[in-house]
Amino acid sequence: MRARGRGTLRRIGAMARKEWMHIGRDSATLYFALVMPLLLLVLFGYALSFDLDRIPTCILDRDHTQESRGLAQHLFSGKTFEPAGYLAREDEVEPLFRQRKAAVAVVIPKGFGAALGRGEPARVQLLIDAADNVTAGLVLSYMSRFVDANNRVLVESVTGARPGFALPRVRALYNPDLRSTVFLVPGLIAFIQSMMGVLLTALTVAREWERGSMEQLFATPVGRFEIILGKLLPYFGVGLAQLLLVLTVGTWLFDVPIRGSLALLFGISSLFLVACLGQGLFISTVTRNQMVATQIAAVTSMLPAALLSGLIIPIENMPRVLQLFTQVLPARHFVSALRGVLLRGASPLSTLPDAVALGLFALVMLAGSIRAFRKVIA
Amino acid sequence: MISGLTLAALIKKEFLQVFRDKRMLAVMLVVPVVQVTIFGYAANLELTRVDTVVVDDNHTRASHELVTALSAEGTFRVRYVETVRDAENALRDGDATAALMIPHDYSRHLDTEERVQMLLDGSDPSQAQAALAAFDQFIAARASGRASPAGVPTIVPEARFLFNPGLKSRLFMVPGTAAAVLVVITAIVTAMGLTREREVGTMEQLLVTPMSSATLMIGKTIPYALFGLLDETLILLGGNLLFDVPLRGLGVLFLATTAYLISTLAIGLFVATIARTQQQAIMAGFFFLIPAVLLSGFLTSIDSMPAWIQPLTWLNPVRYFVDISRSVLLRHATVTDVWGSMAALVTLGTGLLVAASWRFRSQNSK
Repeated sequence: MRARGRGTLRRIGAMARKEWMHIGRDSATLYFALVMPLLLLVLFGYALSFDLDRIPTCILDRDHTQESRGLAQHLFSGKTFEPAGYLAREDEVEPLFRQRKAAVAVVIPKGFGAALGRGEPARVQLLIDAADNVTAGLVLSYMSRFVDANNRVLVESVTGARPGFALPRVRALYNPDLRSTVFLVPGLIAFIQSMMGVLLTALTVAREWERGSMEQLFATPVGRFEIILGKLLPYFGVGLAQLLLVLTVGTWLFDVPIRGSLALLFGISSLFLVACLGQGLFISTVTRNQMVATQIAAVTSMLPAALLSGLIIPIENMPRVLQLFTQVLPARHFVSALRGVLLRGASPLSTLPDAVALGLFALVMLAGSIRAFRKVIA
Repeated sequence: MISGLTLAALIKKEFLQVFRDKRMLAVMLVVPVVQVTIFGYAANLELTRVDTVVVDDNHTRASHELVTALSAEGTFRVRYVETVRDAENALRDGDATAALMIPHDYSRHLDTEERVQMLLDGSDPSQAQAALAAFDQFIAARASGRASPAGVPTIVPEARFLFNPGLKSRLFMVPGTAAAVLVVITAIVTAMGLTREREVGTMEQLLVTPMSSATLMIGKTIPYALFGLLDETLILLGGNLLFDVPLRGLGVLFLATTAYLISTLAIGLFVATIARTQQQAIMAGFFFLIPAVLLSGFLTSIDSMPAWIQPLTWLNPVRYFVDISRSVLLRHATVTDVWGSMAALVTLGTGLLVAASWRFRSQNSK
């Protein structure tokens, strides 16, 4: 029994060495595997952001008083809103929206200045391009804050006292400036890595089938279990190097804190990596065709990791059925675990559900690959 | 020379290849529709629910009333915890995204201020910001319920949302998803199809036939262009039936789709001239595609990108197609409104095609 065990180890080692030589020989793939994730991270880390400023704003002033001009001037004194033209008629607004030259129009009706002078509420109409609903929500929220601040100044100027009703104090933990980069970078790391992980192994078995070298492997005493593990190991090495590189550069370059324990981070990352590599192996074993394998790998890793992992779209907003479905995605668990460990310093106990899900996924994928292999041999 | 007969034969061969492999057919036709459906349902950036823990040190009727009102507001799911420490732990472990602290002297100061503290989990800033806005609104509504001093001038804003009054994310997301799905399907399939011919050795067989490299190139791309147009049609129909994405400006839209497909197929051809193996093709393909999709304004607005990155998106065909699709479908835009993006798309498509075919010909000329 022990002798057999040692033989297994030796054969896995031999498989791994063979696969390692394949990787080493194909320098282009290796180059992509190490440089591409880094490039993607740097590019997206800088490019992706929800923070909005210089919102193009047009003004339709029907009042033409000192007060109405003052309001516009005050609005453009900050960095949030930028003048995109002064209009004369309301039907000029929509064409500007259509050509994406303005995102919001402030309509100041006749009698605005007079109402303020009498100490009455003065209405202002905001027309917001809501095709992009997120931007529209932000625009309204910024506008409300601007109007609120403006009203405080107005009240103070009339009553000579600070407004009586103070707003409550609000503090954002973990990210006091609400920088979106801090939020996006851990998600991006998970996104990039889930794609790279699956792609690394998705072609490896399919290629052996296409080239006919799989038959040669069967003629050797190497078992299917040993083939799968032997294929997995070298890519685990490459994947781990990728992941550590991306994590180090990402946290350093974008000022992302590491508040949790490094051991926990490493453990979760390894589990995630095995899950992704397992997924790639499974696809590769089942399809036996590189073209189909890559399409399926892309469809099952890249798009879900971008859209269903919580990277950008909050999972709790999705319909129940989809929320349940996201439980299957390794990227979803890695995104939430990574954010927890990096940003909030989450405890090992609270990351346990994600770790268990990742482990289960990895096991199912590897077992599935080995099973699919048997069917093929039969 | 391009010969019509050989071209037709080649196109027929490509179609046969796709239709013979049912999995390939599924990839080309079923997958795009499934993706748009799933993401149409999933892509909801509206703030629907904030899990909130409350630490009430005041324990009066006023503090209870505040918490009841907050939970009645709809956005905040309220749950009590004992201590500030419990609240902080809930935030840290992601069990809550907001914590409301009501101090012991809350009810004493109620006529001048809501003396409470709100802690938000800032690790998701856009949700935190939305929660903050909702909380501000809640407090402001309570404040305005009290008697406001007479004779004080205030500005009252009234907002009207154009083109998407319900602020539905899916209306915004579906046209963008179509652009992303189309580029993935067409560019990758073309690149892999050509490298496979080279890998398997059938490229040499094609090259020894009396077919010019131009014929070869066109024959290899036209079937996928047709699949692309079919996909766009399916996606538009699905988006309309499932998500009420309006169908309008179809003439402009299909013109734009054609220009867009020319550029995505050219990218596929270009990748095929760089890659020697299918593995390299897929790596190189994604190397182009992922930035192209993420920097297209599909998920995060281009206006939010730093000024030095924005010019990069001028070279991105996906950006223009996302732009045109959204403007035409949602904002009732006509050709004159989107002519800038349209011109850019046509120029990019032509440029990419010329570059790709130049490389392709110099590689496969005889």
